[in-house]
Amino acid sequence: MSEIKVGKYVLRSDLLYTESDEWVKLNGTEAVVGITDYAQKKLRDIVGVDLPKRGQRVSLGEVIAVVESVKAAADIYSPLSGEVIDVNEELVSSPELINKDPYGSGWLFKLKITNPEESKKLLSAELYAEKIKGD
Amino acid sequence: MFWTPLINFEEKLGASLGEFAGWKMPMTYSSYQEEHMAVRTKSAFFDLSHMGRLRVTGKLQEFENLIAKKISDSPPGNMIGPTAFLNDRAGFVDDVMTYKVSESEFLVVTNAINREKVINWIRKNSTLEVQDLTFDLVMIALQGRGIWEVVEKPDLSPLQFKLNAKFEGHEVFLLSRSGWTGEDGVEFWAKPEVAQSILERLIVRGIKGAGLVTRDSLRQEMGFVLYGEDIGEDVNPVEARYWVYSLEKDFIGKSALLEILRAGVDKLRIGLKLPKNQRVIPRNSSKIKIAGKEVGYVTSSTFSPYLSRVIGMGYLSSRHFLVGGNAEVEVRGKDYSVKLSDFPLLK
Repeated sequence: MSEIKVGKYVLRSDLLYTESDEWVKLNGTEAVVGITDYAQKKLRDIVGVDLPKRGQRVSLGEVIAVVESVKAAADIYSPLSGEVIDVNEELVSSPELINKDPYGSGWLFKLKITNPEESKKLLSAELYAEKIKGD
Repeated sequence: MFWTPLINFEEKLGASLGEFAGWKMPMTYSSYQEEHMAVRTKSAFFDLSHMGRLRVTGKLQEFENLIAKKISDSPPGNMIGPTAFLNDRAGFVDDVMTYKVSESEFLVVTNAINREKVINWIRKNSTLEVQDLTFDLVMIALQGRGIWEVVEKPDLSPLQFKLNAKFEGHEVFLLSRSGWTGEDGVEFWAKPEVAQSILERLIVRGIKGAGLVTRDSLRQEMGFVLYGEDIGEDVNPVEARYWVYSLEKDFIGKSALLEILRAGVDKLRIGLKLPKNQRVIPRNSSKIKIAGKEVGYVTSSTFSPYLSRVIGMGYLSSRHFLVGGNAEVEVRGKDYSVKLSDFPLLK
C-alpha cells in the first residue's frame, strides 16, 4: 500500500473511489467503505455519524449513512450493492476518528457485495486523483 | 475577497483557511474541539481582523442619537456594549462594541458582514466623520481561563481600554480587557508586523491558535448571537432578548422599540440542548415543535465540546416559551428531543 499526495490531500493506491468521495477496500466479496481524506478535509470537524444497521440491504447509489460536521451534514452513498455485515461502532462516541484516520480507524461500514460487476465502475486512485486535483 | 494580513504566518502555524463574511480567515488549527477546550481550560489566540473597526468623530449628542445604549455617562477609556444601531422598526442594523476615546471620538467594532453598511448608515444619519481602520490594523484576541499564565496582565478592568498601550514589549494601537468567548483576556489592534511579533513571543510560552469555528462554538455556549444567523434587520432586541439599549435617552428606533415593549412580541430567542450522544446538528431554519406542532425555528447550532452535547439557539413562539421544558427539533425529516434552555448554556 502506498500513499499518493494530491495537494494537501492523501490517497491510497490500494483503494477504489467514487465520484461522491467514498473509498472502497475490496477483498473478494467483502467491501470496507469510508470517506476520503479529501471529503473529511472538506467537511472539517466531524461531530456525528448516522450508521446503517447490520443486515440492511442496500443498492448502489443509495444513501446509507450521514456524516455530520459542524459545517454541514453529508450523505454517504453506498458505492456497491449488498448487505451491511459490519459497522464501525467506535464512531458513535468518537466520530472525530474520521478526521484523524479516514482510511483506517475512521472506516464506516462493511458490505457483503451481491454484484461484483459493479466494482468496475469505481474509480482507480489515479482517476480519483484527477478528479480532486486543483481543488 | 479580503485576506487577513497575517495569513502567511497563520498558515505556517497550521491554520486551515476558510471564507467568512467575505474574508479568508483561519477556521481551525488542530481541531476546533481541542482549541475550544484550550480556551475553556488554558489559553488561545484568535485573529479577528475581519471585524470592521471604525473611528467616529464629531458631536457626542449626534453619536448618542445613533447608538442604542447611553454612552455619555461612561468616562473615556471605557467600552460600552454590546450595543446596537437599530433601524426605525427597531430591527438590528448591526450589533456593535463601542469605545469611548473622548467626548468627541469613538471607536466602533462592527460585524464583518456589516462594515460598509454601518459606515453608510452613520453618514446618512449624522454629520459624524467615519474613518475605516479595518485594513490598517489587525485585531487579535487572547482568551482563556488560564490566560494570565502566558500573557502579561494589563492594568485594565473588564471593558476598559487604552490607546497606544505598551503590551508584551511593543506598542499597540489599542489594548482592551474584553473578548467574546465568556473567558477573561485581552484584545489588541496593531500593525500586522507588531501583532506577529507579539504572537511569536506568546507562542513560545505555549499559547495556541484557534479559528473562527472555535469562536462560533464558544459564543454559542454563552448564548451570544451572530448577526446574519440569529439577528438581522427584521429581528428586534426584545425578540432576541438582547439588552443592547437604554430607554432614558433618544436614539433611532427608540419609538418603535417602546411600541414593541408595550405590545409584546410573538417570538423570543431560546437556547437548545440535545441529549448527550444525540449527535445530530440542526441547521438554520430547522423546525422546533412542541407536541407535534410547529412553534419555532433554529438559527444556530453546533456540538459543544465542553458540554459534550449538541447545543443551539432559535426563536420560539412567545406562547410556547416553556423554558426548562422539552420540545422536538426536526432534522432531515426526523424529530429529535431537545431541552428548551436559558442562556448561558454553559453552566
